[in-house]
Amino acid sequence: MLENVKMPEGINKDVMEHLMYPKNYGKLDNPSCVGVAQDEKTGEYVVFYTLLEGDTIKDVKFATNGCQDTVVVGSMYTDMIKGQSIEHANKALALIGKKLGTSMSKQQEICAEMVLNGFIASMMNYDNIQNGKTEEMHVLKMQESCQVEEQK
Amino acid sequence: MNTIYQKKHELWLHILFASFAINDEEIKSKLYDFSQIAFRHMKWLGSDLLSSNADYNYDRDMLLLKQDSVFAVLNALKDQVKQMQKLYSNNVLDKRVQTDDTYLLQYLEQLLQDQSNNQEVSAFNMQRKWPEADLDPVQTDALTLFLFEESYKEYELILVYAYMQARTNETLHFDVFQDLIDESHFHLKSFGNMMAKLGILALPRELHEMTYKIKDLEKFVKDGIAEEEAAKEMCKELSEAINEPKLSSFFDFINYQESYHIQLMQKLL
Repeated sequence: MLENVKMPEGINKDVMEHLMYPKNYGKLDNPSCVGVAQDEKTGEYVVFYTLLEGDTIKDVKFATNGCQDTVVVGSMYTDMIKGQSIEHANKALALIGKKLGTSMSKQQEICAEMVLNGFIASMMNYDNIQNGKTEEMHVLKMQESCQVEEQK
Repeated sequence: MNTIYQKKHELWLHILFASFAINDEEIKSKLYDFSQIAFRHMKWLGSDLLSSNADYNYDRDMLLLKQDSVFAVLNALKDQVKQMQKLYSNNVLDKRVQTDDTYLLQYLEQLLQDQSNNQEVSAFNMQRKWPEADLDPVQTDALTLFLFEESYKEYELILVYAYMQARTNETLHFDVFQDLIDESHFHLKSFGNMMAKLGILALPRELHEMTYKIKDLEKFVKDGIAEEEAAKEMCKELSEAINEPKLSSFFDFINYQESYHIQLMQKLL
């Protein structure tokens, strides 16, 4: 019905779709592991649910109270890593800039890092659980806050 | 966790976003009133659950489909109300709530009988063309991002304040939360209608419990004041960037409103 609409110039269609309908948003009922990346300065977080089958990311979901940049990057990133290997997931974030269609601003880079840290935290949670530790979720504090001055 | 509460939450959003999607002012206004009734249902159902030592959360399981006609929007909404009707039990509150939904159903059916109501819906066409002025691509992008950012924020604030209001025993806090909820309803309504005009109407994303289960009220309020300050700045920047008299004065108005939100929030400290 509206699938073939021609987008006006500006934000590209891919980004618009991720804004309107973020992919893999929410939580998994039975994840293998859960990770959180937290920006203590702003109170923003990304929580990452990962379901693993061996080395493969069988399913993944994320949630955030952060900005739209975090939502778009999280949506794109989870879309890229679902069904892929952990190794692929560790490299995939570098490709986001290309998908966004522009080079990332400093703030977008920090948002992207927060998404990746959410995933890394979930992997740390997985390792901890494998090593017999009881841990509901693993939390990583962000070293850099997304509350940055944009360079003009 | 609690099916009736969750479905009522979803129904509130369905009615609210149907109101945003439809251009006819009379239908829009009436549906908005129904959405406010549904929100109060949520409040009463939630309060009922808490008083019986049960609980609720803000999980959702819903999609907002891209519709291109008023009848498609109304029929989808009618289905949702009918689904809701099946969930009510025989207790006094459920029965009372059900009579409101029955009246909504009657209203929807009445609208669906009149073919002249079946106008085109452009709320989802992604054209991003502001009908009241020519905005260049940079201005349109700025407005788009602002609306996504702030519509989510207002939805988040409504639910977080409602969650805290339901759990406070302090009258001052209760009153402040009510004022803040009312203010956020107005902002969400403004931004939702603007998104529809731009053709980018979409549901705000679901809230994770880390967002609304507040462990430290003081930190929450201080972070909230910082966010209000940031929103003020965004409105100011947008007002300057868009440079269109009607939109600029609207964003100045929102900017000034954030000032008394800050004042209200300070009362919570």
